[in-house]
Amino acid sequence: MLLYFCQRVAYVVGIVLVVSLLIFSITQIMPGNVAYVILGDFAPLEQIHALEEKLGFNDPWYVQYWRWLSQIARLDFGDSLIMERPIGPILWQAVANSAVLAVISIVLVAVIGIWLGVVSAVRHGKASDHVVSIGTYIVLAVPEFFWCIVLIVVFAGSLQWLPATGYTSMDEGFFVWASHLVLPVVALVMGLVAHVSRLTRSSMLEVMQSPYVVAARARGIPEARVIRGHALPNALLPTITVLAIDIGVLMGGMVVVETIFSYPGLGRLLIFGIQQLDLPLIQAAMMVVAVIYALANLLADVLYAFLNPRIRFGKAAHG
Amino acid sequence: MVDATTATPAATAAPPARRRRPWPATLVWGTAGIAAVLAFALVGAVWTPHPYDGMNISARFAAPSATYWLGTDEFGRDVLSRVMAGAHLSLFMGAFATFISLAVGVPLGLIAGYFRGLREEVIMRAVDVMISIPPIMLGLLILAVTTPDIWKSAGAVGLIYVPIIVRLTRGVTLELGAQEFIEAARARGERDWYILFVEILPNAWPPIIVEAALRVTFAILLGAALSFLGLGVQPPASDWGLMIAEGRPFLSQAPWIAIAPGVALVVTVILINLFGDGLRERLDPRLRQKGA
Amino acid sequence: MRHTCSAPGDRDAPISAQPPGREGEILTLDGLSVRYGSGPSSLRALDKVSLSLPRGGALGVVGESGSGKSTLAMTLMGLLAGSARVDGGRAVFEGEDLYALSPAGWAGMRGRRIGLVFQDPFTALNPAKTIAHQLTEPLVLHRGLSETAARAEARRLLDEVGISDPDAMLSAYPHALSGGMKQRALIAAALAGDPDLLILDEPTTALDVTIEAQILDLLEALRAERQLSMIFISHNLGVIARVVDEVCVLYAGQVVETAPKAEIFAAPRHPYTKGLLASMPRLGAPRARLETIPGRLPDLTNPPEGCRFAARCPFAEDRCAAPQPMVSVGPGRESRCWKAVALGATPWTSAETAAPARARTVAADAPPALRADGVSKRFRRAGGVRVRIDRSGAIPVPRIGHSTFNAVDAVSLTVKAGETVGLVGESGCGKSTLARCLIRLIEPDGGAIALNGRDILKGRAADRRTIARTAQFVFQNPDSSLNPRKTVRQILARPLALLGEERPGTMDQRVERLLDMVRLSRAYMDRYPHEMSGGEKQRIGIARVLAAEPKFVICDEAVSALDVSVQASILNLLADLRDELGLAYLFISHDLSVVRHIADRVAVMYRGGIVEVGPASALGTPGHHPYTEALLSAVPSLDSRGAERMRLAGTVSAPGDGITGCRFADRCPRKIGPVCDTQAPPWRTGPEGVRFECHHTADALAG
Repeated sequence: MLLYFCQRVAYVVGIVLVVSLLIFSITQIMPGNVAYVILGDFAPLEQIHALEEKLGFNDPWYVQYWRWLSQIARLDFGDSLIMERPIGPILWQAVANSAVLAVISIVLVAVIGIWLGVVSAVRHGKASDHVVSIGTYIVLAVPEFFWCIVLIVVFAGSLQWLPATGYTSMDEGFFVWASHLVLPVVALVMGLVAHVSRLTRSSMLEVMQSPYVVAARARGIPEARVIRGHALPNALLPTITVLAIDIGVLMGGMVVVETIFSYPGLGRLLIFGIQQLDLPLIQAAMMVVAVIYALANLLADVLYAFLNPRIRFGKAAHG
Repeated sequence: MVDATTATPAATAAPPARRRRPWPATLVWGTAGIAAVLAFALVGAVWTPHPYDGMNISARFAAPSATYWLGTDEFGRDVLSRVMAGAHLSLFMGAFATFISLAVGVPLGLIAGYFRGLREEVIMRAVDVMISIPPIMLGLLILAVTTPDIWKSAGAVGLIYVPIIVRLTRGVTLELGAQEFIEAARARGERDWYILFVEILPNAWPPIIVEAALRVTFAILLGAALSFLGLGVQPPASDWGLMIAEGRPFLSQAPWIAIAPGVALVVTVILINLFGDGLRERLDPRLRQKGA
Repeated sequence: MRHTCSAPGDRDAPISAQPPGREGEILTLDGLSVRYGSGPSSLRALDKVSLSLPRGGALGVVGESGSGKSTLAMTLMGLLAGSARVDGGRAVFEGEDLYALSPAGWAGMRGRRIGLVFQDPFTALNPAKTIAHQLTEPLVLHRGLSETAARAEARRLLDEVGISDPDAMLSAYPHALSGGMKQRALIAAALAGDPDLLILDEPTTALDVTIEAQILDLLEALRAERQLSMIFISHNLGVIARVVDEVCVLYAGQVVETAPKAEIFAAPRHPYTKGLLASMPRLGAPRARLETIPGRLPDLTNPPEGCRFAARCPFAEDRCAAPQPMVSVGPGRESRCWKAVALGATPWTSAETAAPARARTVAADAPPALRADGVSKRFRRAGGVRVRIDRSGAIPVPRIGHSTFNAVDAVSLTVKAGETVGLVGESGCGKSTLARCLIRLIEPDGGAIALNGRDILKGRAADRRTIARTAQFVFQNPDSSLNPRKTVRQILARPLALLGEERPGTMDQRVERLLDMVRLSRAYMDRYPHEMSGGEKQRIGIARVLAAEPKFVICDEAVSALDVSVQASILNLLADLRDELGLAYLFISHDLSVVRHIADRVAVMYRGGIVEVGPASALGTPGHHPYTEALLSAVPSLDSRGAERMRLAGTVSAPGDGITGCRFADRCPRKIGPVCDTQAPPWRTGPEGVRFECHHTADALAG
């Protein structure tokens, strides 16, 4: 187990390094643009060259990469080109705001998704199973940004129950704060709940036909216990992997949802950076996203291993 | 599962009574649905009730009516005409992206699964890296640094799905490679390319095609999301994602501008999914529901 | 829909309100039918099955695939899945009609009064739970024990099923256990609720023969100690014969014969039973040609009205087209054949028997078709990554190493032209790896291999296709050895084009000739594999081998996946081809009876090495390697021999790393002492030229 854990950690570090190289490569694809972004499109060539020299763009790429990576590692993200302020504080505020959305969403996805999946597997072929299956089928076809539109039209527009956009801090009261979160969270979780519940259902159905579950029934274990004690622990293993993948999908969704709801999170910051060609900002935001995603996957791996005795008590192996 | 079922397949000594399996209902409906969507897009590409870019200031924000079935937008353009004209762009996005992911992913998966060893290690580790970046970020990474256009965003979406196709193809190849008929081919001295393309690939297609059908819908959705963010199709052309974005400021006064292309998107995706499920049933009834 | 009247002449009376459970019977099945699916494609997997089991009795249910025997097990447990349902008749257990039970009634039945042991121990234990959890759960639920008491009882149960270290077993997860241990744990779990009836569905089929023998011993002992009633379901007549008193033969969902064990094996009274028994190769019998049962199972979606076996029966007459009731053929014996009494002891005859068995002699000076010297292959152990600290340099550096094992350990073997050598061993002994090394499907690490006198490891004969023209391979699994997307024509034409000699005739004619050689109709040319039965597919596999016109053929478990009656026809075909074409075979199998039937000489393999080589005829006489002796005594046979069986303790040992002494030392019941662990044993020669590796002399072992 310890060996396995070390293996996974080393692996994640390797992945993050490779990803950092990819993110860094943006500067190599469009180095000139950075100087233009700072000085404006009509800046004289000499000024551009001087700035590039000052920013170190004339060093070999590995020198630049090392400089950038060691800065990032010290959590020094440099200054935003557009806002002309240090990126750090802006970034951390955005991460904190996004974390609120993400944590609420992923918890809801796990709880509701698994619950729906298990219920429809247990009631396989019954009316409630069909309702869940058809419902998730349709929901899966609806992209997050369209959920946002529909939710805004219905709940903010027609019904006027909830604010359409924006964010308030907790200081202005819990309900005001929460009311701004409801629509973004709903838009984020709809598709993922459907995804998780479909996969949980199919893995549950498969496990419920497996010989060891039939054997437990043959031993006279009551059906409720068979489901809870024998089928569920095994059926949830693939769900953990799926949840980890869905964190990535969730991050993508947050880019869209935060933009539409004008929610001041990491996704909106990233889109802002891309639209303004604010390179340091783009790089910093992407690095943070990559690291968070890698950590989430590490967590899922460890959880998976912990629930799977074959890894917990077996030999380390990955693939 | 049950030994009695083994008795069913043509348990007679008579010469081939090849039974044609009927098409599953999902496939029938899915095929019909896809045909309808394609027809809609094709017609929309050449003919629309009103010119899709024809502005009519006097008819701005007109609600759906007999003249404008789905209403008009802020420039008085007919929404139905715009939905029809944008259809082929969204479908193209899905088809081209899937083509890219297959063209890159299938050969890599075959190589990794068949040759194993160093080649497999390199390919699979590269895939691990790609999968370790959240999907939309990979797209943003590519699009952030270049001027967006529909080819680039479709290509980016295609690249995002390469790892999934590689993993699937490799898995199928590994499974097939362990079959005895592959050993038999090796035992009679077949070349690697013959084994890969004549023995393995024809058997590997069914799950790959089913996955590809699923990918088309994901690609349409992701492409629409990129357009929505302004990183895909550029105005004045407009696919459904961009149309939704364009309708967003007017949600309260004219919700149909955004809702109409959204519904078109959702219905298209549902129909293609239906088709994919039908293919799955038809090509391999045992193929399990797979993760996205 | 329940049927209310039984078939005319069936012995069962119309079902009355009174459950027909008779005095002294623990289980009575009365016209029990099970149907899968609905509409025109539905099929009756069980058709009016009537059986009875006396309290304390053991009933064997025999049938080939498609007989409905596994359906029977699930039906009796009320665990039919999917579209299957009881379609008529009833099952009465201790006076209670099982299919009238409420869910609560079933809950009181399963596990508590009826226990079930499954076919495949490898998947029947929950991988996420400890053995303790899976054993104590029914104890707490059914017998109301406290957790501690349940654990103590679980320990006692494991002890009862012969687990030597119950405490270690209790805290283990299933993945850490061998197949035999798992099956013992599953038997213990089935016994936990203290049931009166135990249903065993192919409980030993997935196990090695020496482990199978241990499990059968255990079942015999349990039956005697606990007065358990048993229903033992198997395709293997020999296994059934070990445990039961009565035998019931199922064919196409119907009971065709019931009789006491001794009588049914000595004097079968239904043509199908006769055919089944005649097609079994037996250790003790002379090595004559095997009988076969031609044709195949009727289509169960539309079964014939009359005798379901008539189409395959050499005794069939017009009257067989009428529905067949069970007729009494003696005290406690019934057969579903109107001719049963008239036929009496008339033996089974099949068209194939007409060809007389040829006497076989292999010239002593025949040139070797295969000569292997010291062939070795090492594999990395799965997951055997070791981090060790390398202190050889100035600074200690961690290095990642892989632990390896000798899958094949310096094996030498010769097969003469025209000779058949059998290679026997249990799973994991390295026999399949060796076979693949011999034609370089797996690259051997060391040794020398010559085919037809030509070195295939280097030089001109080392080319893949040159090897393929000399030596060919028949695979085990007919379902995976043919490309499902190719027709028979394509499957056979390819090796003809690639490897075949220039022969007259078009490609189609040459393919037809191959089909003729394996006795298949030319109508099969355009069939796909899924349109053929297992036996037909295996014939295509053999035809593909013949396309290259080899002189040496390796058959790797070539008949293991087939039903007994089909296996017999394939064995006959292989023997005929050998005689017609002068082929040499290396025939690999885990089944000693099969190997003894077809082989001239037999080699026995254990833990990567060959421990004995000798003439097949010598297998009947004493004086063998202790492992061969154990294998011979583990083979279940119809004639229950005396009690002096030799049993191996423990499980099949893993292939070893650096075996210093005898390979078999850790399991050998005749172990002398430390010498067996430390010194490699010498080769000994026994009677009839048997040679084996042992510290004992042949005389000592024979005595």
